[in-house]
Amino acid sequence: MPELPELNPVIHGKLRLALLSLLSGVEEAEFTWLRAKTGSTDGNLGAQILKLEEAGYLAVEKKFVQRKPQTLYRMTDSGRQALTEYVQALKQLLGAAI
Amino acid sequence: MMANIEEQELKDRLSLIENMIAEGRRTTGTWAWTFVFWGVAYYVAILWTAFNHWPWAWLVTMMVAWVLCWAIIRRKVGSQPERKPSTTVGRAIFSVWIAMGVSLSLLLPALGFSGRFNQNIFVAVVAAMLGFANGASGMMIRWKAQIATAIVWWVATVAACFGTENQSIIVFLIAIFLCQIVFGVYGMILESRVRRQEASHA
Repeated sequence: MPELPELNPVIHGKLRLALLSLLSGVEEAEFTWLRAKTGSTDGNLGAQILKLEEAGYLAVEKKFVQRKPQTLYRMTDSGRQALTEYVQALKQLLGAAI
Repeated sequence: MMANIEEQELKDRLSLIENMIAEGRRTTGTWAWTFVFWGVAYYVAILWTAFNHWPWAWLVTMMVAWVLCWAIIRRKVGSQPERKPSTTVGRAIFSVWIAMGVSLSLLLPALGFSGRFNQNIFVAVVAAMLGFANGASGMMIRWKAQIATAIVWWVATVAACFGTENQSIIVFLIAIFLCQIVFGVYGMILESRVRRQEASHA
């Protein structure tokens, strides 16, 4: 019997999974856009972003646009790889159910 | 029972991924107005040239339209609560239109100044360029309505090559009406529907 894959715990959290999925479809995104799309609070969103950043799945760029601070987030290659593996593991676990 | 709960949770995760990817890629930017705007700009330039015969009418109208269009876009972007992220497809479409605009802005005045300007060539070149940009954009986002406008422009390109000068202008006026005004208004209606749906889901 083949061994069932384990789900990456960093990605498995709902908000972190939503963030990575959102960022996989765009080049980069601002904090406010991510907050609006996920409906999360500033504190929770910041904490989950930090976890993804620490895991190397997100890259952060801070800059000033017209004298206003702007924080941009984009998915790293290892983040994309991790999400792909997570989806494959999910599909394997669900097997014939999907 | 436990297995069923877990299976449902895994399915929820999978649908969350699909929904979020679709949400991120969805472009709800408002661009349809630019078709109407440029359609009106073409009409202004054609009328100005027809009644005044001033050789600079097209160049001046197009330059004013560029500046106005840019100012409106900047104003619209600045008034949005959050900046929409760019997607690769979005940047590709934007690049096609900017490259087409630059090509036309260089070619048409150059034709005029070199004395090689000809009404039929002018309509054929503009229609071919607009057909190219609409065709490329339509194929990228798989939007049949925009591909249809490209076909209208391509028909206009061929027609302009074979007709008289007056016939080529009539073809141009009809193509502008269908591909800029009608298509632009149709796009604006679709965009307002999407905005209403988004507002009701928020």
